[in-house]
Amino acid sequence: MTPNGAFTVGFILIALSVAEPGPRGAAVLVALALAFAVIEVGGASLIALKRAAIVVLPLALFMSLVWVGLVGEAPYQIAADIVGTRTAALVYVAKLSGRLFFVVAVIQLVFLRFADLTPLQLVRALALPAPVKRMLAITLSLIGTLRHAIDRAHIALIASGTLTRAPSWRNAVHSWRLIQAVWLSAVTILIGRMRDKWPVEGTMARLDGALDRGKSRVFAGADRIWLPITLAAGCAILLADLAWKR
Amino acid sequence: MFTTPRLILIALGAALNCSIGTIVYLVKLPIYLDSIGTILIVLLLAPDRTAAFICAWAAGWVGLAVSGLINPFLPWFALTDVAIALVAALLVVPAAATFRARPLRGDVFTIQVALCGIVLGVVSAIVSAPVVVYLFGGVTGSGSAFVVALFLKDGLHLMSAAIASGLAADPLDKVLQVLLAALLYRATPGDFIAMLRASETGTAS
Repeated sequence: MTPNGAFTVGFILIALSVAEPGPRGAAVLVALALAFAVIEVGGASLIALKRAAIVVLPLALFMSLVWVGLVGEAPYQIAADIVGTRTAALVYVAKLSGRLFFVVAVIQLVFLRFADLTPLQLVRALALPAPVKRMLAITLSLIGTLRHAIDRAHIALIASGTLTRAPSWRNAVHSWRLIQAVWLSAVTILIGRMRDKWPVEGTMARLDGALDRGKSRVFAGADRIWLPITLAAGCAILLADLAWKR
Repeated sequence: MFTTPRLILIALGAALNCSIGTIVYLVKLPIYLDSIGTILIVLLLAPDRTAAFICAWAAGWVGLAVSGLINPFLPWFALTDVAIALVAALLVVPAAATFRARPLRGDVFTIQVALCGIVLGVVSAIVSAPVVVYLFGGVTGSGSAFVVALFLKDGLHLMSAAIASGLAADPLDKVLQVLLAALLYRATPGDFIAMLRASETGTAS
């Protein structure tokens, strides 16, 4: 399966899930995602579910606090100006959290499908225009540079007594110094690279060559099975919902 | 339009948008600051509004694509980034000269930072509201959810409550972001800005 194929399948699944399918449609959607997880991702699917739970559970608890605890009724009850119930609010939160869990899990599954690739290999395998691939590769590289700059500047500012490790008023007043130190560090590094290092080493031409190597294909292999199945499932979900609504 | 330094700037803006989260986490402050890179690009490419808008938009989307791996909810706010890039290109570009003026004219600087930040915040709140309502049911996990709850209790509909909550929180955050972007712009070496604006003066790389 190509990254383009996996991202397209993921995109269709997420688009269908936010289209608020009925119970039958949701069942088809979950079955399809589970099949993708078992066949394409295997044991690592559990990691995707765990990560999705880590992201969504705190949000779900917070939503419960707001909707069930504070508001005490569901939005449709407020809109219709009818007497609301906490049970309806709880059902609303459960549906919303379920959908968010599905979205996060699908994104994680798609990326875990290519967990054996380095970020540069993944960008190379994507069938995208060369400037976009170059941009993604440079962005990933600069994020690494900025993270190092943040670590260095943060430690230096703590050592100098300007910032503290714990939340503090001093952090609120002086944190802009950390941002400025990181920015100046990044700009200085980039000026050096763009003026001297990259032209001498031919970095851009080499990067383009590295990203183009192997001629990535838009869809191939298992994409030809997954894409028709996902599209057919999409149609089935829409039809099932129409039948259910009647 | 897309000279090599500008492409690098887009990547730098995207990387800054992604990495600023690390800084916010380290200093443990209840703010977002996730559009500083976008606003800064607009300032660095002023006075060319078209280039500023397109590069800021591109940086916003590249940043969302990359940070979406860590926070899968961010890419849903893609339209907000377009709106921020557009409004910044229209409103922040004229303020670029004031932001870099030496000596700093404190009163004009303050007024322009506040004006740009408030307008950006209002636009951002309005454009984000449908996503906040549809995807998250009005509750995104931030403190503004309590404001939503308060407005709902007062009888406002969910969309109105989400917009009102956004209007209460976003302008302050955006004023802070414009202020930080302006301070970074002031501190940026002239060499770097000259490299970025080179195509306009005929010394393109």
